[in-house]
Amino acid sequence: MRLQIIGFGVIGQGLAEVLLRKREELRERHGLELKVVSITDISGTAVAEEGIDLEKAIEVARETGAIVNYPGAREMSGVEAIEEVEAELVVEATPSNIKTGEPGLSHMLASFKAGKHVVTSNKGPLALRYRELVTEAERNGVEFRFEASVGGAMPVINLARETLSGDRITAIEGILNGTTNYILSRMTREGLGFEQVLREAQELGYAETDPSYDIEGIDTASKLVILANAIMGIDATFGDVKIRGITRITPEAIRLAKERGYVIKLIGEVRDSHLEVSPRLIPETHPLNVDGALNVAMLHCDVAGEITVVGKGAGAIETQSAILSDIIAIGKKVKG
Amino acid sequence: MRMRVSLDLELKDEPGQLLLALEPISKYGGNVISIIHLREEEKLRAGRVPVHFTIDVPDEESLERMVRELEERGVRVTKLGEVTKKERITLLMIGHVVDTDLRDTIDRINELEGVMVSDLSLAMPHPEKESSAIVDIEVSATVDKRKVMERVYHIAREKDLEIVRSLEV
Repeated sequence: MRLQIIGFGVIGQGLAEVLLRKREELRERHGLELKVVSITDISGTAVAEEGIDLEKAIEVARETGAIVNYPGAREMSGVEAIEEVEAELVVEATPSNIKTGEPGLSHMLASFKAGKHVVTSNKGPLALRYRELVTEAERNGVEFRFEASVGGAMPVINLARETLSGDRITAIEGILNGTTNYILSRMTREGLGFEQVLREAQELGYAETDPSYDIEGIDTASKLVILANAIMGIDATFGDVKIRGITRITPEAIRLAKERGYVIKLIGEVRDSHLEVSPRLIPETHPLNVDGALNVAMLHCDVAGEITVVGKGAGAIETQSAILSDIIAIGKKVKG
Repeated sequence: MRMRVSLDLELKDEPGQLLLALEPISKYGGNVISIIHLREEEKLRAGRVPVHFTIDVPDEESLERMVRELEERGVRVTKLGEVTKKERITLLMIGHVVDTDLRDTIDRINELEGVMVSDLSLAMPHPEKESSAIVDIEVSATVDKRKVMERVYHIAREKDLEIVRSLEV
C-alpha cells in the first residue's frame, strides 16, 4: 500500500520513525508492504515512486526544518500532492486548527475526492465538520479513520465501534487532555498554585507557550465532539459544547476537596446529547482518578456496564500506536 | 413503586408480640430496614412497648393491607409516614465566596423546596485573595437535582463564583 504523509512535524516524523522500526513486523505479521511515496510539510513536498528514504527524510526535517531540502523535493502543496501523486492512503498529520479546520479539512476532502483513504490525528476538522467528512468519505467509497485524534495511544474510538460493537454507549466521561491532568495532579500533590505549575509544565514542554487551548478546555471539547459523533452517533459540533477550563482552580479548593475524599479533574462528559467540559469532583477511589499526564475514558455500555481505558494521551511515538492500527485496519480491508 | 415508610407500633409486653408484628410485614413483601425498641417510653404507655420500624414496601396497596392485618392482630399502629430519602450534592465554590454574602448564597439555595445546605467548610488564604468553600446540599429524592444546580449556577454567575460539582450530578 502506498502512503502519503501530509504534515511532517512531531506526529509525521514519529510515524516515519515507527514505520522504519516496524517494516519487517508489518510484513510478517500483517502481510502489509507500506511504502511512503510522498511527504509534505509547509515548505513543499518530497516525492519518490519507489519509496522515500525515511531515515533521510527525518534527518532533513530535523536539521533544516523543511522537507523541501530533501533531494528532488519541490514546492508542492498538500492538496497538489494529494491530487498528483499516485497513492492509496493519506495520513493527515498537520496541526489541529479549531477555528477553520485548515489546512487539514482541505487535505481530507481532496483525498476523498481523489479516492484515497484517510488516517488522521487532526482533531480540528472533525470537531467542526464531522458529518460532512464522514459523508464525503462514504460517497467516495473510501475509509476514514481517526483513532489518534482522541486520547493519543489510548484506544477508545475503535474499542467502542469494533470491540464493543454489540453495545450501545449511553454516556462517556473522561480526562482527554494530558496537560491539564498533569497540572492538576501536580497542584494536588505539591500544594502549588496554578500559575507556578503551568510555568513548570511549559519549561518541561508539557504545555505550549500559548496554553489556552489546553487549560481553557478547548482541546478536551474538540475530542469530546469526536467521541459524541463517532461513538454515540450524536450530530454535535464544537459550538455545542459547554466549556469551562481549570484556570480558576486554587490550591485551597484542591485541599478542601481532598479533605472530603475528592480530587479535581478536568472532565469531558457526553450524556443525554449534552456535551460538557468542566472541572469536577471525583472520588479518590473512582476509576477516573488517574494521575500525571495520563488520559482516561469511561464508556457506559448498555450490555457491558462500565468499561474504562487508561493510556498516554500524547507523545510522538505513543500516538503512532493509534495511527498504525488505523493504517493496518485499512490495509487488511483493502486486501480483502 | 417501592417506598420506604416509618411505622410506629405499640406491642403488648408479652412474649411473641414482635413476631406478631413481623409476620404481616413479611407477608406483604415488606423489608425491614431497622427496628428500634423504645423501652424507656414503656412506662408512659401503660404496659405497652413502642417499637419504631423503618421498612421498604412494594407499594401503597401492600402497605394498606399490612396495616389492616396488624390492627386485626391487636397491634396498634400509632404513626405511619413515608420517609423521604435524601440525596446529597457536593460542590466547591471558588471566588469571593464570603465577600459576595455567603449568608445570602446559602439562603437562596435553602429557599428551594426540599433543599438544604447541610455542611460547609471554608478556606480563606488571604482576605484579598479568592476563597473556596466546599458545600453539601441535602436534596429530597423527589427534587430534580438539575433544578438545584440551575439555581446554584445562577447565583454563581451573578457573584462570579466558579462551581466545581461532583461527577454524578
